Amino acid sequence: MFQSIKRAVTLVGMVTLLAMTAVVASAQQTTGSVTMSAAVSNYVELNSGGAVTLSGNSGGSVTTDGTVDTPLAVVVDLGELGPSNTNSFVELSVPLKLRSNVSYQLKMSGSVSGAGATAYSLKASDVGFGMNPSARPANLASGTDTNTTPGDPTVGGSTDVNGRWVFAGSNSTLNDFSSSTAALTGPRINKTTPKSNSAGLVVPAIFAIKPQFYDPAAAITISANFTISAP
Amino acid sequence: MNLRFVISANCFCLLIACAATTISAQALDISSGGQPTITGTIGGSVTGSASVLNNLVVTINFGEVSPANTNAIVKVVVPIGIRSTQPYQVSVSLAGLGNANPQAIQASDIGFGAANIRAMGNQSQVCTLSSHIFYPPFNNDPASTVTIAANGRVTYQSSLSNIAGATVILSGPRLKKTNGPNRGTNDGYIFDAIFAITPQFFAAGVSSATLTFTISAGPNVPC
Repeated sequence: MFQSIKRAVTLVGMVTLLAMTAVVASAQQTTGSVTMSAAVSNYVELNSGGAVTLSGNSGGSVTTDGTVDTPLAVVVDLGELGPSNTNSFVELSVPLKLRSNVSYQLKMSGSVSGAGATAYSLKASDVGFGMNPSARPANLASGTDTNTTPGDPTVGGSTDVNGRWVFAGSNSTLNDFSSSTAALTGPRINKTTPKSNSAGLVVPAIFAIKPQFYDPAAAITISANFTISAP
Repeated sequence: MNLRFVISANCFCLLIACAATTISAQALDISSGGQPTITGTIGGSVTGSASVLNNLVVTINFGEVSPANTNAIVKVVVPIGIRSTQPYQVSVSLAGLGNANPQAIQASDIGFGAANIRAMGNQSQVCTLSSHIFYPPFNNDPASTVTIAANGRVTYQSSLSNIAGATVILSGPRLKKTNGPNRGTNDGYIFDAIFAITPQFFAAGVSSATLTFTISAGPNVPC
């Protein structure tokens, strides 16, 4: 009997000690955690790269000029495109500014309207087009941009059997871009910088028309739409 | 006689254990310091307990940090509660965030600092002989110490890259008056752990990391 009571008391003591130990363990918390995550999505951007350049024009002018780092929405009156314009080409250079954190693809689609529909009317194939990228400067991510156009459309070219001017190479006129077609592709453009850093790939998009004996037309509209995407 | 001895011994042990428990139970404790907050985010969030009585378990989602987020910075403030009956130190260790692509988010891209220590209430111990010290370079609000490196990338006075192993960020004297075993709402101190990331042209992807805050016995400074 006495031994049983002694064992019971001892047991109670042990249990109490264990319970107190458990209290100690649960009361103290010496660590805490902060778990963090972030997402970076594909980002591509196309803006104006600055003021356009119009040359070889007779009459005509820049109606809405490009402003660097603002959305591209340039409007230009190319002036007279008939033989009374004695310049070799009416040439328009539109700087585009591309930025991305991933590989990019720049597409263009172009069209001509209001010029008439005869064989002698000004057509999409009479509007030369080319991109003219330079090597990337040091403030951009390294990489090579692939130009699917021949470059400056005023370079090269010849007349066909009818004497009409033909721009050199493939993807060299708006006719080759009647549907949205890649003009320029490349790897990521920007280094890891904030958006406020103005660095970007500035590429001139060049349009050229050779003044010729086109059918008269009072209001010809030539449109070119650029789209950048992450392929 | 023997029974009396066993009972007495048990009672004595219990008293010792209780006393020891009272002393050691809250010797060092870390908890939530209040509701964390986030600003400048697109699609992000921060979750954690608003109560200083709960454990520190915070989850931060900075959200979109590509240039699609046009805010200047994404900032998160995490209040952390600390209690001690002895001099203490708080250390931090980092796990994760091992992006091999240098253009992806790196530890140096997440600013991290600690500031703004304040008493919880009237049971907080005010010591006049020693101060609570935030250790450099972490003694700053990283959202206020943004600079641009020569390569155009954002840097901070301190970032997660300054954490190597268990890195001490704060130490000081005793934090609470009482030796009671339970957390109170007024018996310790709170400081802010501050995180900041500037949206940039990071390489696309998802990044994650975990910080562990630990309170332990610190330099033996007087109160």
